[in-house]
Amino acid sequence: MLNLLAKFLKLLNGDASPSQISLGFAFALFVGLTPFFSLHNLIILFLVCVIRVNLSAFLLASAVFTLFAFVIDPVSISLGQALLNNPELTQTWTQLYQSDVWRAFKFNHTLLMGSVLVSLILFIPMFVVSRIVISVYRDRLMVWFEKLKISKMVKASKFYKVYEKLGA
Amino acid sequence: MTKWIRWSGLVGFVAVVALLVAFMLFALGPIIKISIETFGSQAVGAKVDVEDVSVSFSPLALTITGVQVADKESPMENVVSFDQALANLNVLPLFLGKAIVPDLSLQGVVLGSSRTVSGALAKEEVKAEDKSSDKKSDGKASESDAKTANTNTDSKEASKALPNADEILERETLLTVTEGEAFQTSFDEHKASLDSALANLPNDNALKTYETKLNGLLKGKFKSLDDFKQRKKELDTLQAQFKKDKAAIKQAKSAIKSAKSDLKTKFSALKKAPKQDLDNLKGKYTLDGAGASNLAALLFGDDAGPMAEKALGYYEKVRPLLVDEEAKADKQASQDKRLEGSFVHFETDRPLPELWIQNLNFTMALPSIASDQSLGVIAVTVTDITHQPEVIGKPIKVKAQGLNLHNMKSLDLNGVLDHRTSPGRDAFDLKINGWALNNVKLGLAGLKLASSETQVLAKAVLVDGDLNVNSETLFSKAQFVTKDRTVFAKEMSAALKNINRFTVNANAQGEVTDPSVSIKSDLDKQLKSAFDKRIGEKQAQLEKDLKNKLNKKLLSYAGDYEAELKQLNLAEGGLSNKTKALEKLGKSKMSSYEDQLKAEAKAKADAKKAKAKAAADAKKAKAKADADKKKKELERKAKEKLKKLF
Repeated sequence: MLNLLAKFLKLLNGDASPSQISLGFAFALFVGLTPFFSLHNLIILFLVCVIRVNLSAFLLASAVFTLFAFVIDPVSISLGQALLNNPELTQTWTQLYQSDVWRAFKFNHTLLMGSVLVSLILFIPMFVVSRIVISVYRDRLMVWFEKLKISKMVKASKFYKVYEKLGA
Repeated sequence: MTKWIRWSGLVGFVAVVALLVAFMLFALGPIIKISIETFGSQAVGAKVDVEDVSVSFSPLALTITGVQVADKESPMENVVSFDQALANLNVLPLFLGKAIVPDLSLQGVVLGSSRTVSGALAKEEVKAEDKSSDKKSDGKASESDAKTANTNTDSKEASKALPNADEILERETLLTVTEGEAFQTSFDEHKASLDSALANLPNDNALKTYETKLNGLLKGKFKSLDDFKQRKKELDTLQAQFKKDKAAIKQAKSAIKSAKSDLKTKFSALKKAPKQDLDNLKGKYTLDGAGASNLAALLFGDDAGPMAEKALGYYEKVRPLLVDEEAKADKQASQDKRLEGSFVHFETDRPLPELWIQNLNFTMALPSIASDQSLGVIAVTVTDITHQPEVIGKPIKVKAQGLNLHNMKSLDLNGVLDHRTSPGRDAFDLKINGWALNNVKLGLAGLKLASSETQVLAKAVLVDGDLNVNSETLFSKAQFVTKDRTVFAKEMSAALKNINRFTVNANAQGEVTDPSVSIKSDLDKQLKSAFDKRIGEKQAQLEKDLKNKLNKKLLSYAGDYEAELKQLNLAEGGLSNKTKALEKLGKSKMSSYEDQLKAEAKAKADAKKAKAKAAADAKKAKAKADADKKKKELERKAKEKLKKLF
């Protein structure tokens, strides 16, 4: 846990582009919230490898979102069920169901459908919000934060040693 | 734009994917081999050995060589083995974890081949070894037994035309035995309850003691009031004992009555049983119209039995894979409704179950019957093999056709294993034409079916473990021979000479593990008239033997029932006497002390009265005597006066 926090702080206080970090967070939504062994995650991994996404941010956020998934799963399942059982959409799903490619993506699985949709909905907000938060943090809060007594105390703590070990 | 592309990442991704593919290329075969061996062994409960598995990617196909599936019941044999299996696989369904096999062809399929190493699983290996060593020793023993038996059989065979009385009594369920056992049990139970009831009764000595005691209490005068009270108390105790004894006698009487009635009924049934048994056995084993049906069973039962048993054995091995998986699928479906989510299925003309072998083709040598030469080869096609037939909406279909057949014109087997709904229904149709059935040993009198042309039509239906098989076999141009020299064999051979066309109808019904089989034939009718005349003598002897043996059985159960019955009657009579004696004793009563005093006063008064009466009587007698005397004197005087006058 300390390692995770230290890594996060290192990332925030480092030189990495806020956009790349934010994009890493956004892509991590898919890996964290949806079932890992799914074909769409292979595409996400391909994109993460090919696009200049911050890999540390992606891996860190994937771990965090996997924890969130335990809470979000019931919502995702309900959403998936509602969509797949919606009579107005049945024709669409039936057409997709005829294709082996779409079925290989397991689109007709309630959790997968729901969680992919949740990830898609959150993708852009996550990118935009995290980019703003990182920029604001770096511009205004980072210096102020380091001056705080609590920060000094933290610097003297075991946590800071871990942080330093990571090469901050 | 290009600043957003990470070329090293692209190279890395491609490298990782290539590595994975390479890993699959080399490791997939061994992984599949281990999976088949592990899960296959778990499924069949015995070792499943695979020599090698290789994977090719264009098109995706599996080649599995040297597969042996051991027999759980007999680990040194294989249920099935084949040299090679070639399976094509659809790629995309594999991403869904579904194995769709459009074509699977097997080569070198053999049923029941022997193994070089035991096929028992590790846990059962020790047991299996024990069993096999037992089997070996048993085998040796049974071999020697068999040899002895053969010698005996050879020597006895001449005399073994019909089964003898002992064999019949051994194999049949006899009413005499059933009734005899019921009688014996009842007899023992009643005897125990009677012994217990009789033990509580007073014996003759006790009765005499009672009498003596009673006399002592009732005779003699009371010396005082205390003496009276003491005697009264003792009398009350004695009378309470009488009551108790009377109750015990009543209970014993009731037990005797119930025992007599029950035993009488059961003994009567037991006495009738040998006759009923004899009638039943006569009907079954005489070669009359009704009983002759057994002859067909005797003739063909020995061959038909093991063949049917083997076929059912293979079916039993396959059935759990169909039935259990259904239950498993239901369980899985209910589990899928949890947090893991579930699949929603839509209408499609291309459904995807977890495993689906769309076409399975193989050829197999037919087993030999009555000769070392195989009957030929059978080409088998099985379509739509899956444990989830409800997903594909099709039943499993089996089609087998004879190829290069020897001594047979055609062989066709069609089967439909329909488990789309529960309970499943499996149906098979078998049709064999022009089967030259030669030198088939029959189960009676050393008879052989030397030659015949046979046509078989059979239909089997299995629903929820219940079997219903109907078959009709038409034998034409039949010729029988026998080497036996017994009268029966000769008569049989002579009778069969004139018969060259007959049908045998075999039916099996009931649980698949234990069906009841019946074999009927019009051969019986044809033989009837011949036998009615010829074997009457032997029949009579058999009946006599049966009667004697059944009577002996009856005696062994009835034992000395008659003697026991006499004893019971005597005991019942004795109990009546005892009851009377006790009733008499019980009626005795004691008068009170006051009564005794009154009686004494009365006696005194009576004596006084008697004395006064006696005195009065004496006085009266004296007066009367005096009057008589005076009267006589007057008469004498009157007579004397008269004499004087004349």
